[in-house]
Amino acid sequence: MLIRMNNITKTYGPLVANDDVSLTLEKGEILAVVGENGAGKSTLMKILYGLERFDSGEILINDAKVDFRSPHDAIAHGIGMVQQHFMLFPPFTAAENIVYAHEPKNGLLFDRKKAVLRTEELSKRYGLQIDPNAKVADCPVGIQQRIEILKVLHQGVDIIIFDEPSAVLTPQEIDDLLQTIRDLKAAGKSIILITHKLAEVMAVADRVMVMRAGKVVKQMSCKDTSIDEMSYLMVGHEIQPREVEKVKSGSTCLSVENLVLSGIGSKKLLDGLSLHTDFGEIVGIAGVSGNGQSELIECITGLKHPDSGMISIAGTDITGKTTADIRKAGCACIPEDRYFSGSASEATLDENCIMGHYEKSELMRNGIFNTRNVRKFASEMMKAYDVRYTSETQEMHELSGGNAQKLIVAREMYQNSPLLIAAEPTRGIDIGAIDYIHGKLLDKRAKGDSILLISSELSEILELSDRIYVIFEGRIAGEFTRENASSEKIGLLMTGGKLNG
Amino acid sequence: MADTIQEIRKKKAIQNVLSPVIAILGGLILGAIIMLAVGTNPIYAYAQMFGKSFFTPYYLAQTLVRSAPIMLAGVAAAVAWRAGYINLGMQGQMCVGGLCATLVALYFPVKTPLTTVLCFIVGMAAGAIWALIPTFFDYKFNASLIITTLMLNYATNYITDYFVAYPIKDTAGDGMALQSPQIAEAMRFFRFSKKNAMNVSVFLAIAMVILVYFILKKTRFGYESKITGLNRNFASYGGIKSSKMMFMTMAFSGALCGFAACIEIFGARYRYVNAMFSSTSYAWTGLMAMLIAKYNPILTLVYSIFLAGLSIGGQALQRTVGLPMQISDIIQCCITLFVSVKIIIDFKHKQAPETLAAKGGKA
Repeated sequence: MLIRMNNITKTYGPLVANDDVSLTLEKGEILAVVGENGAGKSTLMKILYGLERFDSGEILINDAKVDFRSPHDAIAHGIGMVQQHFMLFPPFTAAENIVYAHEPKNGLLFDRKKAVLRTEELSKRYGLQIDPNAKVADCPVGIQQRIEILKVLHQGVDIIIFDEPSAVLTPQEIDDLLQTIRDLKAAGKSIILITHKLAEVMAVADRVMVMRAGKVVKQMSCKDTSIDEMSYLMVGHEIQPREVEKVKSGSTCLSVENLVLSGIGSKKLLDGLSLHTDFGEIVGIAGVSGNGQSELIECITGLKHPDSGMISIAGTDITGKTTADIRKAGCACIPEDRYFSGSASEATLDENCIMGHYEKSELMRNGIFNTRNVRKFASEMMKAYDVRYTSETQEMHELSGGNAQKLIVAREMYQNSPLLIAAEPTRGIDIGAIDYIHGKLLDKRAKGDSILLISSELSEILELSDRIYVIFEGRIAGEFTRENASSEKIGLLMTGGKLNG
Repeated sequence: MADTIQEIRKKKAIQNVLSPVIAILGGLILGAIIMLAVGTNPIYAYAQMFGKSFFTPYYLAQTLVRSAPIMLAGVAAAVAWRAGYINLGMQGQMCVGGLCATLVALYFPVKTPLTTVLCFIVGMAAGAIWALIPTFFDYKFNASLIITTLMLNYATNYITDYFVAYPIKDTAGDGMALQSPQIAEAMRFFRFSKKNAMNVSVFLAIAMVILVYFILKKTRFGYESKITGLNRNFASYGGIKSSKMMFMTMAFSGALCGFAACIEIFGARYRYVNAMFSSTSYAWTGLMAMLIAKYNPILTLVYSIFLAGLSIGGQALQRTVGLPMQISDIIQCCITLFVSVKIIIDFKHKQAPETLAAKGGKA
């Protein structure tokens, strides 16, 4: 056995990222590791590549126990990783990037000619065509990925880990990538492919391991499974929908028409996306993250401006408006990452509470804050949403994840805006807090407001939404009403499959 | 997760008080070692130094007068740094502010205390405009503020020194000194005694520091700039326009530098003197004070007085003990060294805001 990871457990604080996970890889095999976001695939690979240390378990390479302190050790044992976010220097040429850190030398000097020769040799041997002298900055994403792969091959590894390699590629580039992976296998390399696109798994992998919530759900040969079975295992069992009272929905609240946003290179992050939400309705957007959800939110909230398309809230055109204006037009937003953009960890609780509210006259007059009212406002808000805190002036990072999330939810709910964008409203928090936040979202819907719910947790979408869109590669891949939605059908569309009939 | 919130806060509070003290003590100890090496009794030297600069009226007045522009430059830097905009051009902003105020003082036909007010307004505006030049380059061409503000200092030194070397050079007396003529007596700050340098400027500077403290703590601008500095993503998500913040913050910072320069000119020197803001290193001392103070204006004031006392004490040392005044520079450098080490450690501890994804958050 080439690689054997036995009973790996890894925790981050209270979070168990890998729970007693075992993995094996044979020589010349392509193993796919699939699972939803946060299922623990990336953590497992980071451990194997020496980027993270595990709490317990063991790793054996060729039946010898190893202990990787850094990727350097992993590379020395023949393990390389093609990262999802390329680790390249854009101003340098392909050849310079490929030999980086393992440069051919001419005495003490860097031997550029040898670097180009080496690149050409590798490129020919593995059928990965590139121009060694092209600047990385000028290469399209697909070529950049080839450069990244060649870089790993130059390190002389036998085992290559691909971390979500197709996430940034166009369909054509994906076909090329899959061919490359097959060629690498034919050349005797062993491959671990992390992905959540199940069609790719079926196309190249020999064996698949499905992970969910840090655990291995099932391992099987690709011959013996289907996309349907895998997506079912990935997202889990059908969830009993919460008894949600039907509310009669009203006129259109948010309307998004033909939104286009380009990214780097030819890839479109949003590719003609259209959707709408009505008053009194929760509309869910299901999808594997990275398919345009973040960009959609950024466009609606004015953080990014779309290339074309139109966005309006309750009939008011807000395309191209500033974030402040869009907030005033009636849009509140629970951001997908509470620490990245949802709060300032080193600011105090009251400072975090008043964001988006502080222009109110009881909080501020002529640009000067009324500190007592600010405190009162913050404490009322936090009490109403059961945030456990000791003082309004303690710093945000002192709150637990669940309490921090409740604070942010409270802040955005207090906007009383006709439209609420709730992105990953319950990510990484405990079940009690999840249920609490779900209840509050339903209350808001009952008041006749409109909610756009974006979540990578399919069960959450199914439980709360009146209507569900599936997003895939910047487009709406399907639309379901609450009645005709099922996790199999949605899971299939989420992962790039097609519904039959 | 072993520590409770109270424990963490207590630890942090202790650390906040202790770490600058350790940095300063470290600098003093290193200075003592150097003094020992050149055969001087450090205890005697320190006693002389601080005894003079803080406990004899003449030198104390000097200390306080010197601390005024330092604390203002420090607060100016704090205003910008706290919002995440690294202004290193305080010196140049002081030069331009000071020169423009001097020009008004010399050429405005009416010379009354009210003209002084006008000079201050012009000086502050000039400092602000000078700070906005690199800001504009950052906004338009993405030129790093740190570099452009720093580089502009050198250009500015030459420009302002040109003025006192040629167009407005003082030709009275022997005409050797590169300086402007003196400003009219009616426009100078009130001096309490003929025996020492003490004048209103110190109180004006302190009042300004307190005003800045209030602005940062209690106003919309203070809130928005704090949030921008702590997490720019959060600020723009909340609807704060970062470009507007950048221009406002840098203008405010530059205006404070202009104010600092005016304080020096109308309170102490009464004229623009060649290299008056570069050779005195007010800006850099102020920067250090605010770094030790972690951007807190009130603490910046305290450390500014301490650092001013250190260099005034150094001058006194030269006169009485016969030690070169560079000793105080060495001590100041040692303190800088210790403070920077601390800042780098702090920086490494937090870096960019951690995202959930980076923590491997559960979906």
